[in-house]
Amino acid sequence: MTFTLQGESLTLFPERGVYWPKTQTLLVADTHWGKAATMRAAAIPVPGGTTADDLSRLSRLLDRTRARRLVLLGDVIHARQGRAPQTLAAVAEWRSHHHTLDILMIRGNHDRGAGDPPDELNIRCCNAPVVEPPFVFQHFPTESPEGYTLAGHTHPAVRLHGKGRQRATLPCFLFTPRVGVLPAFGSMTGAAIVYPRSEDQVFAIAEGEVVAVGRDLN
Amino acid sequence: MPAAIPKPIRDFFAHRGWKPFAFQKEVWDAYRRGESGLIHAATGTGKTYAAWLGPVIEWMQGDGEANPPLRVLWITPLRALVADTENALQLPLTELNIPWRLESRTGDTKASIKAKQQKRLPTALVTTPESLALFLTREDAPELFRDLRLIIVDEWHELLGSKRGVQTELELARLRKWSPQARTWGLSATLGNMTTAMATLLGAGAPQGRLVRGVVPKTVLIDALLPAEMERFPWAGHLGVNMLPQVLTAIEEGQTTLVFTNTRSQTEIWYQAILEARPEWAGQIAVHHGSLERKIRDFVEDGLRAGSLRCVVCTSSLDLGVDFTPVDRVLQIGSPKGVARLLQRAGRSGHRPGVPSRVTCVPTHAFELVEVAAVRDAVKAGSIESRYPVERPLDLLSQWVVNIAIGGGFEADELLAEIRSTNSYKDITEAEWHWVLDFVTRGGEALRAYPEFHRVTQRDGRYLVEDRMVRRRHLLSIGTIVSDASMDVRYLTGGRLGSVEESFIARLRPGDAFHFAGKALEFVRVREMTAWVKKTKASDGIIPRWDGSRMPLSSELAAAVRNRLDEARNHIFRGPEMQSVRPVLETQAETSMIPAREQFLIERVRTSEGHHLFFYPFEGRLVHEGLEALMAWRISRLKPITFSMSCNDYGFELLAPDPAPIERAIEHGLLSPAGLVDDIPASLNAAEMARRQFREIARVAGLTFNGYPGQNKSVRQLQASSGLLFDVFTRYDSGNLLLNQAHREVLERQLERSRLGQTLERLSSSKIEIVDLKRPSPLCFPLLVDRTRNRISSEKLADRVRRMRARAEA
Repeated sequence: MTFTLQGESLTLFPERGVYWPKTQTLLVADTHWGKAATMRAAAIPVPGGTTADDLSRLSRLLDRTRARRLVLLGDVIHARQGRAPQTLAAVAEWRSHHHTLDILMIRGNHDRGAGDPPDELNIRCCNAPVVEPPFVFQHFPTESPEGYTLAGHTHPAVRLHGKGRQRATLPCFLFTPRVGVLPAFGSMTGAAIVYPRSEDQVFAIAEGEVVAVGRDLN
Repeated sequence: MPAAIPKPIRDFFAHRGWKPFAFQKEVWDAYRRGESGLIHAATGTGKTYAAWLGPVIEWMQGDGEANPPLRVLWITPLRALVADTENALQLPLTELNIPWRLESRTGDTKASIKAKQQKRLPTALVTTPESLALFLTREDAPELFRDLRLIIVDEWHELLGSKRGVQTELELARLRKWSPQARTWGLSATLGNMTTAMATLLGAGAPQGRLVRGVVPKTVLIDALLPAEMERFPWAGHLGVNMLPQVLTAIEEGQTTLVFTNTRSQTEIWYQAILEARPEWAGQIAVHHGSLERKIRDFVEDGLRAGSLRCVVCTSSLDLGVDFTPVDRVLQIGSPKGVARLLQRAGRSGHRPGVPSRVTCVPTHAFELVEVAAVRDAVKAGSIESRYPVERPLDLLSQWVVNIAIGGGFEADELLAEIRSTNSYKDITEAEWHWVLDFVTRGGEALRAYPEFHRVTQRDGRYLVEDRMVRRRHLLSIGTIVSDASMDVRYLTGGRLGSVEESFIARLRPGDAFHFAGKALEFVRVREMTAWVKKTKASDGIIPRWDGSRMPLSSELAAAVRNRLDEARNHIFRGPEMQSVRPVLETQAETSMIPAREQFLIERVRTSEGHHLFFYPFEGRLVHEGLEALMAWRISRLKPITFSMSCNDYGFELLAPDPAPIERAIEHGLLSPAGLVDDIPASLNAAEMARRQFREIARVAGLTFNGYPGQNKSVRQLQASSGLLFDVFTRYDSGNLLLNQAHREVLERQLERSRLGQTLERLSSSKIEIVDLKRPSPLCFPLLVDRTRNRISSEKLADRVRRMRARAEA
C-alpha cells in the first residue's frame, strides 16, 4: 500500500513496517526483542522462537524493499532480563545477514531499562528527536515543531464495524494531521485500540494485506 | 445401638427450646464409629451442629485434655462466611465451658493471631481452600495436622463443579495422608447427584461414606408479580425496571425484604431505582454484592441481622451463609435460572417456626413468566440440578505441584499416589503426570533449549522450589478463581468502596459520573491501579458492568419450559403467570408459531442490519453457544459468509450481510450428529472459544498473574495477554497439554458436551419448521437487540475489512 504523506511517497507493509523510498529507509517500531526471554527469566514457561521469527520477518521486509537503512523507533529490547544469550545470538546472526545495513535506533522507554544493544551489533543509538525533513523520528507520538512525527510506543489497533454487526480489531498504522504512529513490530506485544477522528488516516493490517479504513473508505 | 447424648448437650438444645434432630444424632454416632459422609439439607436446618458437635461430644466423653492440638478443620468456600461460622461454633463451646481455642485463618487474619498460630494451632480452625493451600506450604505442616480428627467442608455444593473443588480434593488427600484417622464430613445443599458429590469429597478408594439427609424442607411458595399491562411490558428489557411499582408494594408489605438479582450491575440499577422512588427510605435500604468492600458488606449484614434494614438488593453474595432471621420476604428479579438456585434463595426467608419460605419472582421480560410457571412444575416433580466435578485439570495440578514443592518438596512417585487418591485425578495417566512434572521443572518440551529456565528444581530425587522470586510469585497468585484485572475504587479522602473491572474504568473520563456501592460518584483519576473518586450530586451516572459468567438456564428448568410452551401451543394456560403471558404467546403464534415439543423452530427475517436466522432449541445459553458456533461453521462451509452470533437461554441468532443457504445446509446435514468429532473443534476454533478459555488456565498454571501489591511497574514487563500466549503456544508448542485442556474445558464444562450431543440428537429427530417473519416475533426480539456477539467467518479478512469502517471517536 503506497500513499503520500507530507509530499513524500511511503509504502506500508503488512509485516508492520514503513518504507521511505527516497531515502531507502525502512522504519519499524516497538520490536521488543527478548520479551519471551524476559518471561522465562522470571520462570514463566513461554516457548522460544518468537524473537527469531520476528527477525526473519524483518529480513523479508529488508529483502523486499532493498532498504539501505533501518530506523528502529524505540523499545528495541524488551527488558534487561531479555538480553538472554539465545536472544542476542539470534539478533547477531540476523545482523550478519545484513552486515552492510545502516541501523539507527531511537531510544524508547523500555530501552532505558534494557540498555542499548551490544556494540558488536553496530547499531547507532540516539535520543529523540531525529529530524529528517519533512519527518521527525521519535519513540513517543507527540507533535513536533520541526516536522511531521513518525513514532511508535502506543501499539495502535483499530476496531472496525460492518454490516450484520461484524467487528474486528486489527493492528494499524495511524496518521493524524501532525503525527504518524506505526504498529508494534514485535509479535509478543499487545495493542491499544485507537479511535480515529475524521481527519485521521488509518490503515489496518488484515492477514497479509494493508487495507485503508476510515477516511479513505467511501 | 446409638450412644447416649451427654446431658450438657441435651441442655444446650433444651435452653433454646430445641431437641436434637434424628439426623444430627445419626451423624454424631457415625462420627464416633469413625465414618465419613455428607449431610445435605437446606440452609438453617442444623447441619452445622450435626457436624461440629461430634468431636465435641468425643472430647467430653473421652480425654478431656485441657488444650488439645488441632483436631477440627472447618473449610468454607467464602471468606465472608468465616466470621459467622466462628460465632456459631463458639456458642456451644462457651456455654458448655469447653476450653478449646477456636480461631480462623484467612487473608484477613491479623498478624498477631498469625504469629500465635505460627507457634501453636488452635484446637479448631476455620479457613478457606486458598488459605489452607498456603498453610500446607509450611515445612512443619505434617506435624501440625498430626492429631486432626475431623475435616468439615461447608457448602460443598458451592465448591463441587469448580476448580476450587478440585483444589479442596487435593488438600483433603494430603491431610488424610498425614492423619489417616481424620474423618471427612461435607455439608451441602441438596443436589440431583448426591452420591457423586459424596464420592468426590471422600476421595477415590475410600470406604463407602454415609449420606445423611437433614430436615426435609418445608413447603416453598413460589409466585410472581404480574405486570399490569402486557403491551407495555418490554420483551427484552433485562435492565428494565418497569415492575418497580409492584416491587415497591411488595417491599412495603414485608418487614425485611431481600431483593435478589442475577448480576451485580442489576443490584446497582435496582437500588438506584428504589431510592429514587422512595427517597425517604435512605438509610433503610442497602446494596450488597461481591465487588463491594468487606466493611460495607459487614455493615449491611449486621443491619440485616438486627432487623434495622427494610430492604437489601443483592446478588448470590447473600445466597450462602448464616441466617438473617428478620428476612420475611424474598424477591427474585429476572430469570430464576435453576431450580436449586431458586429454592436456596427462597430458603433465605421464613426462618420463624410455622412460617413457610416464599419467593416472589419479578419478571424482566414476558417469557420469564413461563419460567416461573415451569420452575414450580420442576419443584413439584423434584427435579433438582446436578453438579459435576471437574476431571483432572492440569493447570490446577501444575499450581498444586509448585505449592507442594515450596512446602518442603516431594518425591514424584509418592506424590503421584497421593494425587491419584483424589476423585478428580484418579485416572491421570503416567504421560500426563510426567508432562506436568516436566512443565513445572523445565518449562516443558518447548523449553528444552533453555537450560537456564527453572521453576521447580530437582535435587537428589526431591522436587523443590529454590528461587525466592518463584516462591513469592506463587504465594501471591495462588488460588483458582479467575478475575479480570480489577481496580480499587477509593474516595480521594481515603475510604475504599470496592473494586470494578479495569475495562470499565478505562471507558471513563475524568468528571464522568457512575453509580457504585449505591452511591453516585465522580471519577477523578487513575493512579496506582486505583480509581480515585469523589461524591457527586449527578443523577445520570452510568453503571459498571462486571463480566462474570452469565448463568445458563439449567436443563431441568429448560425442559419444564418446553413443556409449558407445548401446552400453550394447545391453548392451555395454567396458572396466573401463564394467563398473564398469554397475549405475548398468542402474538408469537400469530407472527410465527409456538414450537411443539417435537418441533424445531427456525425464524428468518431481513432488517437493515442484514439477514437474520433465529433458532430455538430452548436448552440454555451454554448449549446454545456451542450450537451457534457449530451451525455457523457448517453453513459457512457451503459459501464464503460471515456470521455474527448471539444467544440467550431460549435460542440463538445467526446474522449475516447476505442470505444464508439454510435449506441447503439442512439437506447437507446441518443438524446431523455425524461428523461432530471434527466439526465441533473446528467451529470452536473459528469462534476463538478455546482462546478465551485459555485465560483462566494461563492464570491458574502461573503463566499470567496480576502482580504484587504496589509493585505494578516491575510486573508490567512480564505481562502478556493470555490470548497472545495462546497464539504463541499454538505456534511454538502445539503439544502443550494446557492448550489441550483449553479445548477440553470448552467442550466439557463450557458447552456441557453431553448436553450438546443430546440436544443435537433431539433436534435432528425433530420436525424443522422454517418461518419467514414479516415482523419480529416476541421470541426473536431479545436476540435481535442483543449487542454481545461472537463471530465466525469463511471469508478473507481483507475482503471483510474493505466493507467495514472504523467507528469514529464518539
